[in-house]
Amino acid sequence: MSSYNKETYVCPNVKKQSVGCLKHAPPLAYTVSLIMTDCVGKTHVFTAAMLRFSSSADSLHPLSTSSMAEPTVRMSGIVLASLMFQHVNSDSDVEGLILGESKFEEQITISDSQADNIHIEEIYNIQKHIACHRLNHFYNSVGEVNVDVVKNILADNKQERVIGWYRQRRNSGQQMTFREKLVHEKLKASLSNPHMIFVLLTPSRVTAAGATHRTEYAAFISRSRQFVNVPVTVTNLGLLEQLAYWKVSAPCSAAGYHLTMKKHSSKFFSSNGLLREVNDVNTMNDSLQTELQKACREVEESERLVETLQAEVSALRTRLSEKNQQHGAAGDSDSQHPQQQNVRLQEAVRALLAVSPLFHSQTLTLDAFPVPELCCRGEREAEVSTETPPPGRKRTRGTPAGRHRKRRKSNS
Amino acid sequence: MSPEVALHRISPELRPMLCSVVRDGRVGLDSTNCLRVTDLKTGCTSLTPGPCCDRFKLHIPYAGETLKWDIIFNAQYPELPPDFIFGEDAEFLPEPSELPHLVQWDAGDPECLLQLVKELIQQYHHYQCQRLRESSRLLFEYDSLLEDPNYGRNMEIYAGRKNSWTGEFSARFLLKLPVDFSNIPVYLLKDTALDPGEDVALLSVSFEDAEATQVFPKLFLSPSIEHALGDSLALQIPAFPSGGCLIDYVPQVCQILNNKVQYVIQGYHKRREYIAAFLSHFGMGVVEYDAEGFTKLTLLLMWKDFCFLVHVDLPLYFPRDQPTLTFQSVYHFTNSGQLYSQVQVSYPYSPRWDGNEMAKRANYCACATDNKDVTEVVRSHSVAKTET
Repeated sequence: MSSYNKETYVCPNVKKQSVGCLKHAPPLAYTVSLIMTDCVGKTHVFTAAMLRFSSSADSLHPLSTSSMAEPTVRMSGIVLASLMFQHVNSDSDVEGLILGESKFEEQITISDSQADNIHIEEIYNIQKHIACHRLNHFYNSVGEVNVDVVKNILADNKQERVIGWYRQRRNSGQQMTFREKLVHEKLKASLSNPHMIFVLLTPSRVTAAGATHRTEYAAFISRSRQFVNVPVTVTNLGLLEQLAYWKVSAPCSAAGYHLTMKKHSSKFFSSNGLLREVNDVNTMNDSLQTELQKACREVEESERLVETLQAEVSALRTRLSEKNQQHGAAGDSDSQHPQQQNVRLQEAVRALLAVSPLFHSQTLTLDAFPVPELCCRGEREAEVSTETPPPGRKRTRGTPAGRHRKRRKSNS
Repeated sequence: MSPEVALHRISPELRPMLCSVVRDGRVGLDSTNCLRVTDLKTGCTSLTPGPCCDRFKLHIPYAGETLKWDIIFNAQYPELPPDFIFGEDAEFLPEPSELPHLVQWDAGDPECLLQLVKELIQQYHHYQCQRLRESSRLLFEYDSLLEDPNYGRNMEIYAGRKNSWTGEFSARFLLKLPVDFSNIPVYLLKDTALDPGEDVALLSVSFEDAEATQVFPKLFLSPSIEHALGDSLALQIPAFPSGGCLIDYVPQVCQILNNKVQYVIQGYHKRREYIAAFLSHFGMGVVEYDAEGFTKLTLLLMWKDFCFLVHVDLPLYFPRDQPTLTFQSVYHFTNSGQLYSQVQVSYPYSPRWDGNEMAKRANYCACATDNKDVTEVVRSHSVAKTET
């Protein structure tokens, strides 16, 4: 397994995917988590530095100047339908505040074929909207925002959850008006949130009879006092791609949701927040690793033993060859010695192994029962028995090459 | 959309303000073009009984262009100030503190909307002037004109969008020329459209590139002035000199226009003098004359018991152009049923003579023996016709 250095990587063909989750919470402190998967599939987690910036100007935001941030607004179909429903039942333009969550995701892709590619995505999740009871309620004719009125509108909701505001106006263009731009800038300053969105819905009548109406919706954010149109993604609305459902799950802030999760999560999740199956699989993997290591040790020991024996054999052969060379000129008398040594070896083997039936070759009947036989008859008979069966003894099952055993068919 | 239709469809609470805009709404230099209202729509549901329109598009003439701004009210909240969408000028964001009629919006004042629009146009003008900074050449033109009080206060600028492919930047200057039209005879101005508005001459100079290599000037006259002086085709202005500046060119055009106006005024006085002189010489024989424009005079004369009419027609550019004398018989008709007449243009005339001298010479022409051939011809011809 290769090592990984955050600054310079040494492992080739490693795709590092870091997912940074920045949760915006005043006083604007951010954390970035980097998650890396190496070539053998092991996961490494790094915690990056704390990022902090002032809220007075967008240009000071580090992520907005470091690389191209692509903002996206996401909302569920329920929220969008609720917005439209509110305007349908109103006889004038409507406006209000938007609550939700904004986060930044930083993806860094490293490969051998290209340099580091940093992709920053701003995601604004719209979860709720609060309607104002009348127009121009929290601002005046020149867009000055009254924070007290905003707080009254929010009621029990936290001010930190405000990520923008919306307005719906019939039969008008999909552009921000003069006062809407003023209010947006003032609202950003008043709530000390440089990242706010403005959602605009503009219903219009398509047919003269009014049977069909069309509502166009768009979101805008302010970048250096210029307003940029941001794409709005409605969950599960649109072309259904294979990964559309799996990309990111929309966070839910409902109390009932949290209560349910708290009640039933212990069945699925362990104390460290991972799925229980994941822990079990990890445990099994650890056991397998242990057994593997144990087998490796045994193999290592046996290999070392084999190495030692091979060394001894080699040494003995060397000594033997030396001795043969020394006694080579001694003559025939010396030739009897190997034969005498062989006889002695044979007697020793016979003494040790003659009584054990396991070391005897046996003749089996057709029913696989051993046929009782005499033990070793002597030197020559013992030697001959290793090569050819003695006369009178039935041949063992294995037939010599070239001869086929006849099969006798039973008459019964 | 006519103003009456717009006023009929607008919400009743907003009608006074819109009336002020469409009837009295003249903004900017080109006051001959009124503000127009189109695309009247409503922010209410279809269940709301009409008239309930509360948003519309306002067409504003500015620097030769027409700005199309959306103005959005709310019929259910008529006391609230309007909101604006400035068309394609998405970057235009006026300073609210420079809009007093927005800061102190008074829904009960019918003039409030019109005044607010004028303040916004003023802010728009500043915005366009700021855009001139993208071209040092055009900025120089603007600054030089601004220093001259005759032109600096009556100037509108429209800076075109920079072409992202070619990098070209264009601009148009619209200037109100300081020419006095008050002495133009009233009769020359009255035969125009109803309520023609202020008499004004506008010079439009279009710079198609930032280096002023393609400059196209054009003169616009209000309908009454155009009628009095002849249309702009008759009034040829010189082409913009290559390498020239507006601060040199505009006074040149002003001078030409002034000369033309003076010529028309002097021509009127000359004609009046001429007619007066004829009246004193032929007082007993005057049948009728144009007492307003002094362009026509008819005399009844007699020679050897033969009466005939003499019609004197004075052209617009008298005394440069010679008057036409038409002799007409009172006894005989032509085959087409018209009184027999003959035009006489070859008679002694000089534009440098005064009216009295011209009348004396004309009298001599009508009655002297040198010219008796004319009357003799008329007389003989009319006699011949009688016999046939």
